[in-house]
Amino acid sequence: MTALLEVANLNKHFGGLHAVKNVSLSLARGEVVGILGPNGAGKTTVYNLLTGFIAPDPGARIVFQGTNVVGLAPYRVAALGISRTFQLCRPFVGLSVLENVVVGALGSRAAAGGDLEARALGLLAQVGLAGKEGVPVDVLSYGDQRRLEIARALAARPALLLLDEPFAGLGSSEIADLSALIRRVHVDEGLTVVLIEHKLREFMRLVDRVVALDFGEVIAEGLPDDIVRNPAVIEAYIGRDEGAGSVMASHAA
Amino acid sequence: MFAKPVDLAGAAVFVALMAALPLLFPSNYLIGVLTVSVLYGIWAVTWDFMSGLTGRENFGHALFIGVGAYTAGFMNTTFGLNGWWSLPASMVVAIVFALLIGVPTLRLKGPYFALAMLSGSVIMQRLMLIFWEQTGGEEGLNGLTPLIRSQIGFYYFALAALAGITALLLALSRSHFGLILRAIRGDEATCQAAGINVTFYKIASLAISGAFAGAGGAMYAHYQLQVSPQLFAVVTSITIITMVYVGGMASIYGPVGGAILLVLLTELLRNFGEWRLMIYSCALILILFFLPGGLVAPAWRRLRAALAERRTARSVPASRERSA
Amino acid sequence: MLEILIVGAVSSAIYAMLAVGFTLIFGVARVLNLAHGSFYALGAYGTYVLTSHLKLPLLAAALLSVAIVAAFGVLIERVFIRPMRKSQLAVLMITLAVALVVEQALFLTFGSEYRNVPAFIDAKFTIGGVNIAGARLLALGVGVVVIGALWLFIQRTRYGSAILAISQDPQAAQYMGIPSDRIFSVVMALSAGLAALAGILAGPFLTVQPTMWLLPIVKAFAIVVVGGLGSIPGSILAALMLGYAETIVGYTVSTSWTEIVSVLATLLMLMLRPAGIFGRRAAF
Repeated sequence: MTALLEVANLNKHFGGLHAVKNVSLSLARGEVVGILGPNGAGKTTVYNLLTGFIAPDPGARIVFQGTNVVGLAPYRVAALGISRTFQLCRPFVGLSVLENVVVGALGSRAAAGGDLEARALGLLAQVGLAGKEGVPVDVLSYGDQRRLEIARALAARPALLLLDEPFAGLGSSEIADLSALIRRVHVDEGLTVVLIEHKLREFMRLVDRVVALDFGEVIAEGLPDDIVRNPAVIEAYIGRDEGAGSVMASHAA
Repeated sequence: MFAKPVDLAGAAVFVALMAALPLLFPSNYLIGVLTVSVLYGIWAVTWDFMSGLTGRENFGHALFIGVGAYTAGFMNTTFGLNGWWSLPASMVVAIVFALLIGVPTLRLKGPYFALAMLSGSVIMQRLMLIFWEQTGGEEGLNGLTPLIRSQIGFYYFALAALAGITALLLALSRSHFGLILRAIRGDEATCQAAGINVTFYKIASLAISGAFAGAGGAMYAHYQLQVSPQLFAVVTSITIITMVYVGGMASIYGPVGGAILLVLLTELLRNFGEWRLMIYSCALILILFFLPGGLVAPAWRRLRAALAERRTARSVPASRERSA
Repeated sequence: MLEILIVGAVSSAIYAMLAVGFTLIFGVARVLNLAHGSFYALGAYGTYVLTSHLKLPLLAAALLSVAIVAAFGVLIERVFIRPMRKSQLAVLMITLAVALVVEQALFLTFGSEYRNVPAFIDAKFTIGGVNIAGARLLALGVGVVVIGALWLFIQRTRYGSAILAISQDPQAAQYMGIPSDRIFSVVMALSAGLAALAGILAGPFLTVQPTMWLLPIVKAFAIVVVGGLGSIPGSILAALMLGYAETIVGYTVSTSWTEIVSVLATLLMLMLRPAGIFGRRAAF
């Protein structure tokens, strides 16, 4: 089966800093993949490179559904079927909740046509924001803003959804709700999802496979249970410690 | 329908009032003031459509006005064409200028666009003086023919143009196109992530804004029957921005009120002659500090809410009767 | 040829003084101050008033003008710019409004006829067969010295390091206890003073009238676009390029075309390399 997304030789220098080093990965359709790594590991930079917000160093290969996306403007990449969220919620300030979701659909041909407002209402119900259509976004709680981001991203009917730390800033019950939502969406829409996160517990339960980054390089790849015991990963997170393996494992339980 | 019945009623009342004024108070002076205020209304509405919605403020709107007016001037005097050709021609020329400046500057963040438009209007003013042999220099071009001979006839034409342009731009602003423009103001990066070609929409809205402003400029030329480099002045651009602030940014209809208020204010201040511009500029500073939401649009919204309250208050007893 | 070299250098020096101040306040406070041209105008008018009405000697009048305009700059920053800093465009609007108020105030006080700012050096000099006004040579000399001094100030003093720190990372600078507000005022005073000085030096040979603030703003903008917004070496280099380009065009084609040079340079740069030559802060 051909991969949904093929990334090879992904590098990025910021001046002298080699922020992303030779990252390669391959996503199969329908997978839920997690990207793990301490702060500064380059995870968001990888997202920015994949979605065209930053240009990769020459030699990179990013092929999405058979199309080479290197060098395309971000809006073109998005229109091909990759939707992303941002680390800090970035809603359309000045627009209502419903309008935010409708705009999400206006950019891609796949999503156009039909009653966009009705579809948007349906998406809001799906993410648990039913009844809040007319609310201006700046009064929403952070958890609700996160849900809105996901609804906005879904409005474009993407094939690939990139989530950047969706649980950041949320309490444990909100995390559980959002996690269930992501799982539901993945199943219902048949999406491929990539997830950057810090919070190990929910993360490990959601993903099929993990890619671990540190200092811009892939240091490990595999099933969640294996990654958590991987010495290189443990060192990156906690530092060299004999007992750390069990600590990480219990965190992920 | 892009406007609620009460909005349409308000608009109808406004147009009727504007049309009736010269009939109630017959005076060429009044018609003149009203005509100028209507033309400023067109310029203010067009500015609001681009800058108010997208948040990318244009500091050189006078560029489009001057370009439209000079197009009319050249076509009418140098080439002897009938005045009515000026309108579409001025729109085309204005669009060309919008693209020339918009394409390089609108894909950039920050104030580059604002300052580029300012620079553009200043440079055009200089160019008109530099090439004085072709443009008539400081005196400009004279002897344009009026579009409609009767003063009140032209006024009604301008009023109809204002109503039509405002209706069109209001409808656009309430459509998905307008929604995208407002989303661009909200967060450009998120628009990009949603697949929207942000630069295209900014340029398109500038072109639309410029085209109608240019048409207004051509109308002004055929009203004053002359064009001069003063049309490109920074003061004109700033006056228009002030009108939009007074009217209510991004409302599209508010700036019409703002334009009329400010032109009337200018006439009342005529006795202050030299102090007028100073008073204007100080007023702008005060508005920026204390009334950034404007006067006209917020007032209309409050009126609308009060009317809605009265209607629900009246209908409640009736429904209580029915259920009793 | 030598004449072009010297006149070009004089123009460049004046432009550099204007542009460096403009870009400095942007680099530090992210403020594009459209009233910058007003400082230029007020420097010239201040000297005119102090010499012709108060009969002060020229040097005293010039120094006093610079000081007054610098203080005025700090006032503008505190009263008008600081409350609006959340929005770059609000700052643009308010500074533009201030510039208009200043223009109108000058117009109401002095009328629109050209005023006379006396020159420090009335004599004409002959260098290599070229006649050049002493005032122009002085402008060049003072410009070079002052910008050199400013460069040293930024590179060698603690205040200068603070300025560099804030322009690179305003938040980190605050965490390290650098008093940003005080630094903004200092930079504003420097910026305004430089512009006033340019006005005083250029006054004798350029026109002094109320609208004289507008063209310097257009040129300063052109220079910082070409040189890179926030970069002092960029502003100096671009000022040289623009000064010479204008002088060459003025001598070879016609003086009326000189303004077009700056606008063409701006547009070209924005299309090809928006960050400018040295732009650390790209426009994206």
